[in-house]
Amino acid sequence: MSQQTVVKTEALTKKYGDFTALDNLSIELQAGQILGFIGPNGAGKTTTIKILVGLSKPTSGTASICGVNCTVETRKIKRLVGYMPDTFGLYENMRVREYLDFFGAAFGIPRRRRQERMNAAMDMTGAAGMADLFVESLSHGMKQRVALSRIMLHDPPVLILDEPANGLDPTARVEMREMLLKLAAAGKTLIVTSHILPELSRICNMVAIMTGGKLRAFGSIDQIMKQVRAKRIIEIQLLGPGDVPTAAASAAALENASDVRPAEAESLVRFTTTVDESGLAEMLRQLMRINPGIAQFREVPQDLEDAFLSVTQQTQMPSGTGGES
Amino acid sequence: MINNPIIQREFIGLLRRWQTIVMEAVWLAALATVVLLRWPATSQVNLSGQQATDVLRLFGFTLLAGLMILAPAFPAGTFFTEKRSGTLALLLNSPLSPAAIYWGKLVGVMGIPLLLLISSIPAAIACYTMGGVSLSRELLPLYGILACAAVQSTTVGLYVSLRATSVEAAMRTTYSILFAVGVLVLVPSLFIHPDTAGLGTPAAWIASLSPVPAAMHALGERHIGGRQTGEANIMLHYIMAGLLMSAIFAAATIRLLAGRIFDRPRASGKITDDRSAGVKVWRRIMYLWFFDPQRRTGLIGPLSNPVMVKEFRSSRFGRSHWMMRLIGGCLIVSLGLMLAASWGAMNFTSRTLGEIIVLLQVSLIVLVAPTLSAGLISAELQNGSWQILQMTPLSSITIVVGKLLSAARTLLLIMLATLPGYAVMLIINPNQRRRVILALVCLVVIALVSVLVSAAVSSLFRKTAAATAAAYAVLVSICGFGLLAWAGRGDIFSASIVRYCLWTDPLAAALSAVKAPGFTQYSLLPANWWFMAGLGVAALAVLIWRTFALTRAR
Repeated sequence: MSQQTVVKTEALTKKYGDFTALDNLSIELQAGQILGFIGPNGAGKTTTIKILVGLSKPTSGTASICGVNCTVETRKIKRLVGYMPDTFGLYENMRVREYLDFFGAAFGIPRRRRQERMNAAMDMTGAAGMADLFVESLSHGMKQRVALSRIMLHDPPVLILDEPANGLDPTARVEMREMLLKLAAAGKTLIVTSHILPELSRICNMVAIMTGGKLRAFGSIDQIMKQVRAKRIIEIQLLGPGDVPTAAASAAALENASDVRPAEAESLVRFTTTVDESGLAEMLRQLMRINPGIAQFREVPQDLEDAFLSVTQQTQMPSGTGGES
Repeated sequence: MINNPIIQREFIGLLRRWQTIVMEAVWLAALATVVLLRWPATSQVNLSGQQATDVLRLFGFTLLAGLMILAPAFPAGTFFTEKRSGTLALLLNSPLSPAAIYWGKLVGVMGIPLLLLISSIPAAIACYTMGGVSLSRELLPLYGILACAAVQSTTVGLYVSLRATSVEAAMRTTYSILFAVGVLVLVPSLFIHPDTAGLGTPAAWIASLSPVPAAMHALGERHIGGRQTGEANIMLHYIMAGLLMSAIFAAATIRLLAGRIFDRPRASGKITDDRSAGVKVWRRIMYLWFFDPQRRTGLIGPLSNPVMVKEFRSSRFGRSHWMMRLIGGCLIVSLGLMLAASWGAMNFTSRTLGEIIVLLQVSLIVLVAPTLSAGLISAELQNGSWQILQMTPLSSITIVVGKLLSAARTLLLIMLATLPGYAVMLIINPNQRRRVILALVCLVVIALVSVLVSAAVSSLFRKTAAATAAAYAVLVSICGFGLLAWAGRGDIFSASIVRYCLWTDPLAAALSAVKAPGFTQYSLLPANWWFMAGLGVAALAVLIWRTFALTRAR
C-alpha cells in the first residue's frame, strides 16, 4: 500500500458568527486508509465533511484531496470524492438503473463505459438485483446499497460516508462492513462517520475523535487505545456483597488507585490506575493481605467506545460541574 | 368533538407560518382594491342599486376566485407530510379513531379558508351599506356557497394528500380536480341545449358540481350553467351536489385511514423486457412500444442534458405514457369543440370561439405551468437531493437549462394538442389567419414566461407546497391585474390607465389579438410581448442567480 497523502487538512477552522463549529483541525490520511470519524452530535464532523467535499468554505485553514484544494477547485474535488450523506436524496418515479444512469451522465461518463461502471458498482454493492425497482420502493438497507453504487460510479479515490450503517439490520451491517473493507483493499481512502463505534473499530485503521469542534484524538486505533490504556480499569470480583466495603476501603488506600467504585449488587469493586504490570502485582498483593474474600482480580478490556467516552469525558470535565468522583 | 387535539395543532401550526400571514395580507389588500375599484367616484349613489350590485359582483367573483386558488393549498400536503415524517402512523396508533383524525384535520385546515371568508366581511359590509344589496338574497347565499366551496376544496385536498407520493403531486392533482369540478363540468351545459331529451338534465346536474353558476346566480348573473334546474334551484342544487361530493371524498379518506393506507405492497418494478413473449407482444402493441411505462429505458445520450432527462423520468407528466394521456385529453377537448362547432350545436361566432379557446388555454397554462415548474428547485431542496446534485460537476447553467427545457417542452406539447380549436376558427372565418397567429404567439409567450416565473419562484422556496401556491398567486396576478383595471374602466380608471395596465396583462393581449368582445378597441401588441420578454428575462436572471448561489460552497 502506498504512503501517498490523499486527504490533508491544516488548521481548518469554520465559524458561524461567534460560534466555532470547527477549530484548527489538522489531519492527514494515506491511500487505502479508513478513517473512523467519531464524536457526539454537533462535534464538527459534518462541517469537516462539507468542507472536504466542497459544499462549505472554511473561515481559515486549508483542506486538500489528492493535492487539490477543496475550497478553490471545487469542480475537480467533485470528481475526486464520492460523498454519501445521511439523507438518500430520492427522485420519485425513477428506477435504480435510471437513477444511476443520471449520475453517471452527470459525471460525464461516456455511455458505453457508463453501463460497465453501473454494473460493476451494483455488483460490488449487491444492488444488481434492484436495477429495475423504483427507488422509492426500496428499503433503507437497499437504498444504502444504491447510494454506495452512486458514489462509486465515477471511481473516485476518496469515499466519504456519513452514517452508512445507520438504520441497517445486523446482516446488512455486516455486508456494509465487508463492502467498505473491499473498497479499502482496492486502494480507496474512506472517511466514515458512525455512532456505532464497535462497528467502526472493526473496519477503521485510523480514528479521529472530535468534540465541540476540536480534534481530541487522532491516530491509528492502536495509538488511540494506548492513550486510553494509560488509564487502566481494574475490577475486583469478591465472594459476596459483604466483602465490598472492606475491599473498596483498601482499594481507596492504594497509592496509585483512583475513581474507586463499589458495586455491592455485583459484589464488585472497580478502580482506575496508571501502573504497569509489576505495579498491578504489588496492588494485588496488598489487597490480598487485607481482603481474604477476593475471587478474581482482572483488567477490564477497553474498546473504541471506552476510548471515545474517555476522551469526551476529559473534555467535558472543565466546563461541567466538576466531573464524577 | 371540538376538543380534538389535532384541530388545535393543525390550525395553530398553519397560523404560525409566515406564508399564512402574507397570504392573509395579500387577500385583504386584494379585496380592498376590488371594492375601491368599483366604488362610486362621485358622492351620489344610484338609487336603483346598480352601483352596489356592480361592486358586490366584482367582490364576489374575486372572493370565489381567491378561495378556489388558496383553499386547496393548505390541505393538499397535509396528510402526505404526516405520512412522510412518520407521524401519521403515530396518530393511527393513538386512541383517536380514523374519523376523529380526519375530523381534526378537516376542521383545522378549514380554519384558514374560513378565516379568509371572515376577514372579507368588512368589505362585504361596505357593499351592503351602499344600499341595493339584499342580505338574504345575495350576501348570505354567496357566503353559504363560498363556505361549501371551501369544504369541497378541503375534502378533495385531504383525500389527494393521503394518496399522493409527493407534495407537488398532491398539489397538482388537487388543483386539477378542482379545476375540473369548477370549470370543466360547465362545458357539457355549454354544448347541450337544456331541452335536449335525455342529456339536458344530466348536463345541468354535472354543472351543479361547480360553485361558479351558483355564485353567479347569487350575484345576479344568469347566463351560464344550470339552466335546466330552474333559476331558483341553482344554489340549492350546488349546495346538495357540493356537500354530497365532499361527503364521498370524506368517506373515502376515512376508509383509507381506517386500514388500507399502510397496507400496500412495494412496487414490484416489473419490466416488459423480462416478461413472457405473449405479454411482451401484447404490451408493445397496446403501448405502441415507445409509450410502455414498463419499458427498460436506454442510457442518457451524449447530447442530452442529463438534468432534463432526469426531470422527465422523475416527474409523472414527464413519462411518455402520462404525457400522451395529457395530450390525448387536450386533443379530445379541442376536437370536441371543433365537432360541436361544425355540427352547429353552438351558436358561436369565430370571435366568441376565439375568446373561449384563449381563456381555456390560458387557464390550462396557469394551471399546468406551476405544477411543472414550481418544484424544479424547491422539491430538490425539500427532499435532500439538491446536496447530491451539488456533488456532481454539473454547472448551474446546465441545471437551469435542463430543468427549464423539461417544463417548457411538456407545456408546449400540451398546447400543441389544443391547436385544432384554432382550425375551427379558421373554418368559420378563413380571414382570421393573422389573428390566430397573433393569439398563438401570445400563448407561447404566456407559456414560456409562466414556466420561467414559476421556476424562479421555485428557487426562492425550500418547500414545494409553498412554491406552488406562490407561483399560482404570481401567475394569477400577472394574468388578472390588467383585467381588474379593465373591470374598473370608466369609473375609476381613465382609458389611458386601463390601456397601460392591459399592456402588462398577457391574457388581455391574447384576447385583444382574437378581437374578443370588450377588447376590440385595444392594441396591446407588441407592447405586451416586450413587457413579457422583460419579465421573462428578469425571472431567468433570478433563477440563474439563485441556482448559482445554491450550487456554490457556502
